[in-house]
Amino acid sequence: MKILEIKNLSLKSKKSNALLLNNISLTLNKGETLGIVGESGSGKTLTGLSVTGLLDSSIFEVISGEVIYSKQNLLACPEEYLRSIRTKKISMVFQEPMLSLNPVQTIKKQLDEVIKLHVTKIKKDINSLSKEIIIKTGLEDVDKTLLSYPHMLSGGQRQRVMIAIALVCKPDILIADEPTTALDVTLQLQILDLLNNFKIENSMSMILVSHDLDLIKNYSDHIIILNNGVIVEDGLTRNVFEKPKHEYTKKLILSKPDKIITKNSGDKKILETKNLSCRFPLNNPFFTKNKKYFTALSNVNIHVNIGETVGIVGESGSGKTTLAMAIMQLLNYDGNIIFDNKDLSMLSNKGIRKYRNNFQIVFQDPFSSLSPRLNILEILSEGLVAFNKDIKYNELFDICTSLLSEVGLSNDMLLRYPHQFSGGQRQRIAIARALSMKPKLIIFDEPTSALDVIVQKNILELIVSLQEKYSLSYCFISHDLKVIKSISHRIYVIKDSEIVETNSTENILNYPTSDYTKNLIKSSFLS
Amino acid sequence: MNKYNVYWVKFLKNKRNKYSLLVFGFIFILSLFAEVLSNDKPIIMSIDSKLYFPIIMTYSDKHFDGYFDTEADYKDNFMTQKIAMKNNWAIFPLNPHSYDSINLNKSTPNPAPPSQYNYLGTDDRGRDVLARLLYGFRLSVLFAFALTAIGILIGLFFGALQGYYAGKVDLYLQRFIEIWGSMPELYLLIIFSSLFEPSVLLLIVLLSLFGWMGLSDYVRAEFLKGRNMEYVIAARTLGLSDTKIILKHILPNSMVSVITFLPFRISGAILVLTSLDFLGLGVPPDTPSLGELLAQGKENIEAWWLSISTFLVLTGTLLSLIFIGEGIRESLDSRSE
Repeated sequence: MKILEIKNLSLKSKKSNALLLNNISLTLNKGETLGIVGESGSGKTLTGLSVTGLLDSSIFEVISGEVIYSKQNLLACPEEYLRSIRTKKISMVFQEPMLSLNPVQTIKKQLDEVIKLHVTKIKKDINSLSKEIIIKTGLEDVDKTLLSYPHMLSGGQRQRVMIAIALVCKPDILIADEPTTALDVTLQLQILDLLNNFKIENSMSMILVSHDLDLIKNYSDHIIILNNGVIVEDGLTRNVFEKPKHEYTKKLILSKPDKIITKNSGDKKILETKNLSCRFPLNNPFFTKNKKYFTALSNVNIHVNIGETVGIVGESGSGKTTLAMAIMQLLNYDGNIIFDNKDLSMLSNKGIRKYRNNFQIVFQDPFSSLSPRLNILEILSEGLVAFNKDIKYNELFDICTSLLSEVGLSNDMLLRYPHQFSGGQRQRIAIARALSMKPKLIIFDEPTSALDVIVQKNILELIVSLQEKYSLSYCFISHDLKVIKSISHRIYVIKDSEIVETNSTENILNYPTSDYTKNLIKSSFLS
Repeated sequence: MNKYNVYWVKFLKNKRNKYSLLVFGFIFILSLFAEVLSNDKPIIMSIDSKLYFPIIMTYSDKHFDGYFDTEADYKDNFMTQKIAMKNNWAIFPLNPHSYDSINLNKSTPNPAPPSQYNYLGTDDRGRDVLARLLYGFRLSVLFAFALTAIGILIGLFFGALQGYYAGKVDLYLQRFIEIWGSMPELYLLIIFSSLFEPSVLLLIVLLSLFGWMGLSDYVRAEFLKGRNMEYVIAARTLGLSDTKIILKHILPNSMVSVITFLPFRISGAILVLTSLDFLGLGVPPDTPSLGELLAQGKENIEAWWLSISTFLVLTGTLLSLIFIGEGIRESLDSRSE
């Protein structure tokens, strides 16, 4: 039975006149989950927003089309009617749980507001209803949760609260827009199972918007693949994944990173940490003797061989970025870091600076890792000039040109500024900058997390090809086990500032020993 | 087209920016040549077939067969008669008064209303208002530029120091700023102006001692934010020195606060000078100043030409400066298209 139907929906941006959605048609049946997949900018969020009329009419303009729910075209309905069905009949869950809750109100107040508006105004009923829904979302200690403010809850808990608010009126349709993207992998499954159970219990329909193919594959009945505002393929999920028809779908499915590395690593150590520990002072009063500390790393022992990629996988807050910063000598730490038979912890600040060209880092966010006021030539030549003050402009220009071609960019881009590049191109520039120092070791701190899957695969391939060409050693940090497994020779699993498990990639995936690793593998749909 | 050209084109696109800059720039450049435009000495004159340049050179009465060793007074009967003689001539500036010249041959009491001799009238000591406005405007603007430049340099220095090194450096400097900032600035000014002989230089020094603090706070905040940006960390891993990182990476990205405050700082500096002069605490009495003219306007309320003309000059200056500053900020902002 059809519950929602979108017919030939086209949408354009008022400012640039660009067509954002082109002739989108879809149907959602009762009790079914429809997955919408696409890269960033493909229009998947816009499709979701247009259903409840939440599009900003000063930016977007609907050119044609209808959204039909209970025999009415929602696009033609007055705002009052839309308001009465939002949350009550059609509800939404967004990606960022920190931004979608009001930080100055308690959870109870925000939950009660919805109930008061749509369900009942009797105080006793409100209280019992809010408790009931919080229990259902699997949050423990109900009373405490209800009285807390958003910042007192973790990301997963906040997302559960968002789900509670969205589902408290038992809506017909839930639109979940990347509901788990901001969460750690082990939480993702729990949240999706929660949504799925609720859906079955109340015979609700769900639109699940995501960029994550594995997730969609496991949780949706029908699937729609969006590319640049056009539906390139739709059908039963199983059919689409088994027999993709459109080129783009094939590319998307193939972009799932499989094992990319081919060469084996050497066995000579280039980097070794011995009992590496790191702690930060907490907000101590100025005149206290017994200062409190937060331990970010405790007794970490890792090593990297020449030509080897070591994957470091862990959740947010596990200390993986701290580890990268410590190896890069950007933090104070205890213990020893031995690089190329030299103990870096013994060096002075100035000594380290002279040694820095040997190890480089590539960051996660390609938008903040390039200075917006410098052009690409300036960005790439910076390190070269720092180490060789007499270098000539011509020489610099030649080196930078070859660096760009090394990372697959053309040399006419040298005089452009970072904002003229896409995320993937910027990440290539960041890699070129790291390469400019001719390092022996490069640390990648979540280099592909901010990128779309297809771009992600290209970057990973570039990274591996550079390794094979220059026998570089890599330390690859990510929360995404799928990425890590595709490019690492060996993996360290880090949790709560300690290394919980280490082994070669095959062994870790096939014979995990710790519970945490097992959980991680399950949540990444790798088992 | 290089990037500065782009900013320039963007700036001129807005008509308000363009005309504000034109008007302000024109008057400012004119005022830089105030000595040629408004002076009681001739620009050039010929006496007994000899050329004289009184604006540049100082001639005594004796040069013209007079009796005194003092500088010649070209408005005096002796000189006017000399110039009026056959074959002698002199070219006077457009407005034949300097800021301190007093017209002694005038019949009307001071302050005198606008007339063909004094286009904007005279003040209560018989000095030409137009000349005083022109010289006063120049002094105000130059003073404001100097004060702003010094304030920005000191503010940037301390803000960058605090923000980049953070921790203890930041802590102690911040306490110092808190103590320094709670000193009663105005009373210090009053005390100092009675201790020392008032001069423009003294004013600049005194005002600069306090003027940098507001800015350093903003620069500090920008630097605290900037020091943890990934491109800054990347620059550190490339082995750049602290000075280079500050100058090349964080500073250009922290200039927004400096540039945003620029017009307000300049107009603020003009206002400070005007108000101090108005109160009689500013520049020495003979110096042409807008504040002193306003004070005269207050005392001679019926002399409308004093207050209205000064008011118009002051408002026009402040307004065009704010418009220009706003325009600069908008055109440098890479986010606005």
